[in-house]
Amino acid sequence: MNKKVVVFFLVLLVSVSLVLVGCKKEKAAKVVVEEWEVPFLNSLTGAIASIGEYLQWGAERAAYEINQAGGIAGKPVKVIGVDTALEPQKGVVEMGKIVEWALVALGPVPEPVIMAAAPIAVENEMMTMTATTSLEYAEKFFPWSISWFPKTADRLPPLSRAWAEMHPDMKSVVQFVGIYGPWPGMAASHVVGIEEVGVKYLGDVEVPQDAVTFGPLVVKALDQKPDGVIISCWPDKAAKIVQELKSRGWTDMEKVLLFSSADDAALYTTGGADLNGTIIYNYINVDQDTPRWNAFKEAYQKDHNGLQPPSLSTNYYDAVYMIKRAIEETGVTGDPKKLAEERKLVAEAMLNMKNFEGLLFKWDMSNGVPTNKPGYLFQIQDGRKKLVKEIRP
Amino acid sequence: MSLAMYYFLTISAIYILMSWALYLPYRVAHLHFLTVANMLISGYLAGYLVQSLGFAFALALVAGFVAGGLVGYIVSLFIGDAPTFTVVIVGFTFIYISRTAVENIKAVGATMGMFGLPMVAGTPNMHRLTILILVYALIVVVGFLIYRFEHSRVGRAASVVFVDKDLATSMGVDIKKLGRLVQTFSSLIAGGCGVIYGFIYRSYHLDFFTFHLVGIFMTVIFVGGYTTMWGSLLAAPALYGLSLILPPAVASWRIVIYGAILIAVLVLKPEGFITRRLAYTLETTLSRWRKR
Repeated sequence: MNKKVVVFFLVLLVSVSLVLVGCKKEKAAKVVVEEWEVPFLNSLTGAIASIGEYLQWGAERAAYEINQAGGIAGKPVKVIGVDTALEPQKGVVEMGKIVEWALVALGPVPEPVIMAAAPIAVENEMMTMTATTSLEYAEKFFPWSISWFPKTADRLPPLSRAWAEMHPDMKSVVQFVGIYGPWPGMAASHVVGIEEVGVKYLGDVEVPQDAVTFGPLVVKALDQKPDGVIISCWPDKAAKIVQELKSRGWTDMEKVLLFSSADDAALYTTGGADLNGTIIYNYINVDQDTPRWNAFKEAYQKDHNGLQPPSLSTNYYDAVYMIKRAIEETGVTGDPKKLAEERKLVAEAMLNMKNFEGLLFKWDMSNGVPTNKPGYLFQIQDGRKKLVKEIRP
Repeated sequence: MSLAMYYFLTISAIYILMSWALYLPYRVAHLHFLTVANMLISGYLAGYLVQSLGFAFALALVAGFVAGGLVGYIVSLFIGDAPTFTVVIVGFTFIYISRTAVENIKAVGATMGMFGLPMVAGTPNMHRLTILILVYALIVVVGFLIYRFEHSRVGRAASVVFVDKDLATSMGVDIKKLGRLVQTFSSLIAGGCGVIYGFIYRSYHLDFFTFHLVGIFMTVIFVGGYTTMWGSLLAAPALYGLSLILPPAVASWRIVIYGAILIAVLVLKPEGFITRRLAYTLETTLSRWRKR
């Protein structure tokens, strides 16, 4: 090849490289904020303050790790806890303040506050990440929200079916159902799963929100002579139902299935050893052995007197990482003058994010819905969960 | 106006109206917690009318008022002259009943709630302006009616009933009729409030109507002053505002703070901050000043 041609191509290559490097530098230099501030509309006080605490912990843990690794697009990130105290009245005022400045928000938590405050985010076209509620709530606010879970009718039947398949001799099942938000819908989906493998469903036993004694409810359930029991209600009440079942002679603990929303500290502290042998399903596998998860688990246990991370503790951790990826992929700058435009970019990036590296597994988002998150069946033994089965969609 | 200010003003207004809805029956010694159930029933009814049957908001609001008044009237036929404790029990029972009914009615969203209520005017700003004007116009109208009631023979009769029912009866006061009147009117106000409350949030959820609301309204009345209507007018925004401005470190103590305020008021100023004497002094001072 002619020497001049070689020199020409070399010069061209160097020029293109310089331009590309320059572009990259220019993109990084565009960030105008000194710090990315992410508000988290959480319930830090009130009836679910203990849940709010570990949701907040998860988000702040992610921010800490991100900052240790250089921040988001070179700038540190700060998660600002905004307490709604479980009150919609407080939630709307706080959301009213947040939509004036925030690029993206975490929360609200839980459903009553979501219903009151999320419409404000929608009206102001700001992504608000409701990572603890079901799709049936989150989808009402699409495309300015994303769901952390697939459709209830898709994700739960495989889990209850897998549990039923573990017990071929189980012919009939009764279910305790707490009357709250999406739980009746979840209970109905459990029924679909067990009926798919020929198990007869005997019916619901309603658990009132203010129930304090469970003897009559358990007697009503046992009167139908079930082979198996599903419990879909509040964690402390679920534990008391298990205790009541045992006190009335129930011995086949593997044939008791607890749903994911019962998987909280109150279940284990109330139920203690009475829970041994029962099966519970959830979406994180605490026995996984990866450096990232181990570091998270160790840090959590250090800050929480050795307790295991609850199932929802990873949701807002992952949400903060999702924000990081969306900001870095779209090259948003945090410039208040471009707020509307950049909110849209971030939201669009999240709605269809592919191969997202969550704390425990990778997943894809499709129009705001995760498509391939696994579910797990565990057996409870001495306050710990032992993996029984992984169910992949 | 900022969104935060809009929500503060509208929800404060609802608190004022609902506190008045409790205050009015309390003039005859009735703690009429049925009003929270009225909010729920009328709110969900209006939501259903607008969202599922395509009614205009104004019609749904009227339906909400009527439903509130009707439920209040029917119940008052039985508890118009009942003792305070009975009225309390009936109120709580109705909250349970109405919550359970809604939990089981799929047409109004059952436990999930009702989403995406339409705006009452064309744009978000117009929607907010309409709600704001509506709710403060309602305060003026209801306030005027309560003011007239308090300065009427019926109002004075209510004061006697509060002190001694037997005395009131011996003076020719029809206790049952009076009880029915104030209970029905308070339920009517609560019905309208329930409709507006949902349209402020543009959604309904059962947890918007909990016993927590009873606690809020009771605190407003007893801190503000239960012997005049003016106490609620001041205490509602003050107590709601306090919960919003407390720094996070102190916020977790807010229930303790409210409790301490309530206890302090009950011990130091049992009639609340705005007493009848204070209201009378202010009224006469204002009257003299106007004459000059």
